[in-house]
Amino acid sequence: MKHDPETGAARPRFWHAALRRLACLALTVFLAAFLAAALVRLAPGFGMDERQLDSRLSENSIRAIEEENAGNANLFRYFGRYFLGLCRGELGQSVSFNLPVRELLAERLGLTLRSAAAGLACAWLAAIAAGLFLSLSRSRVLELAASTLSGGLICLPAAVVGLLALYLGAGPAAAIGAILLPRILRYVRNVTGAMARRPHVLAARSRGAGGLALLLRHVWLPSAPELLALGGVSVNMALGATIPVEALCDVPGVGQMVWKAALARDLPVLVNVTILIAAITAAANLASDAARSLWWREA
Amino acid sequence: MRRAATAILGAILIVLLCADWIAPHGYQQQFRADAGAAPCRQYRLGTDALGRDRLSRLIYGGRVSMLLAPLAALLAVTLALLVGLIAGCMGGWWERAVVTAMDLCLSLPWLFLLLAVRAMLPLNASPAASIVVTFALLGLLGWAGPSRIVLAAVKRHLASDFVLAACSEGCPPWRIALVQVLPNLRPVAAAQFWVTAPAFLLTEANLGLLGLGVAEPAPSWGNLLRELENLSQVARNPWMAAPLVALVVVVSCFQLAISTGEIEA
Repeated sequence: MKHDPETGAARPRFWHAALRRLACLALTVFLAAFLAAALVRLAPGFGMDERQLDSRLSENSIRAIEEENAGNANLFRYFGRYFLGLCRGELGQSVSFNLPVRELLAERLGLTLRSAAAGLACAWLAAIAAGLFLSLSRSRVLELAASTLSGGLICLPAAVVGLLALYLGAGPAAAIGAILLPRILRYVRNVTGAMARRPHVLAARSRGAGGLALLLRHVWLPSAPELLALGGVSVNMALGATIPVEALCDVPGVGQMVWKAALARDLPVLVNVTILIAAITAAANLASDAARSLWWREA
Repeated sequence: MRRAATAILGAILIVLLCADWIAPHGYQQQFRADAGAAPCRQYRLGTDALGRDRLSRLIYGGRVSMLLAPLAALLAVTLALLVGLIAGCMGGWWERAVVTAMDLCLSLPWLFLLLAVRAMLPLNASPAASIVVTFALLGLLGWAGPSRIVLAAVKRHLASDFVLAACSEGCPPWRIALVQVLPNLRPVAAAQFWVTAPAFLLTEANLGLLGLGVAEPAPSWGNLLRELENLSQVARNPWMAAPLVALVVVVSCFQLAISTGEIEA
């Protein structure tokens, strides 16, 4: 078992860690599915069947309908059926859109993933470029300007940033990028700043070494594991940002669908999207952990 | 800097607490003849489309947001303390179960979770009920992040010399948790409160802008931001952005108080 040179802590074996994280991913999705099923089961009005109000039906027919729905009364039995359906790809029917949830997701997921990925890429590229530029210039004025700008953007609600992007004619990807950029930049500056204050970097600087090579080799490369960890978390932030952006920019993606579903109390849409998003973010965290483990392994 | 930020927050809080005396009109009072009026002596920030005084609604809305967001943060931090302390002291399966629950909560984007749970509750709730529901949800769902930090602090304290000394003297575990560990968690809890409160203010603003926060006619800074949906009109009438300015000032003060406090620490 390898040890971390900084902390001396033992690092788990790569495959052992990967298997453990995969088990965690499966457990997270399973728990999210159970939570979602419990929310649907406990929602007010669950199990009410409009057919029971039909005056043309006899008592026997109404009793048969009641017995048909009685199987769903037990939460665990209901979850078993729901989970089996989920494994077969049956996600239920949307109440507000009057379409199968699977069809709705197939229509909208690509658009949302594309804009989230583009926003994420823009934010990361801009944050890395700004971080490198600020580290190289070492200008207090530029540092202050960058902190003020990122601090100001962090203080704005994501929905307002989305509205501003819409007003300025930028697309949803730019809006998502603008929401993520200040958070990523602040973290990147903190991590690389801490690395730049290490004794060997300060010693190198005091002897006149500097420039891009020192920064890349002794500041940015050792910061990579922390930045990779943020990479996983930023996927979660990007998906969260799609709701206000798509709702306010009128983009027909999953974010807008979730917003409309919340307004219409369309639980089949909400719970299935929640499970899907939990799976995507857990997979992103798994990928970032795997990348960090590989990085350590190479190191 | 920290003192200045705290002083500004204190001054804003005092103004908001005295809303009944300071606000020129009631937040529900409608002046139908002056609907959409520009700022004047009678209406300092003009009136909205229903003829309600914007300044009065800003002050009353601020009272709702500024009092209830910190209360929700207090609820979240209290839950985090409880969960983190129990999990850290019990260890074993308890700790694993709590960490799994934290991972589950943290793997779901905050807004997705809030929208899903908010949709479970009646959307046609009364304004007072919608205020309670919105902020209670923030408090009840916001425990996971702070509890991870509390759990790490509990584990650190449990490995410290004073806890080992207490254990060697035969101090029972519940006493160690309540007397030795809990008082030492105060700085962590305070830091988490200062981080969580502005985050809740911003989340309430997002929910309000999406129409899922505090219901009309009750004002909050979140639902007052809905006027920003028509940004071209806001560009012509900049006073409509007053709730956004107030929100940015308050959140900036929170951020400054936290960051300067961290530097001082």
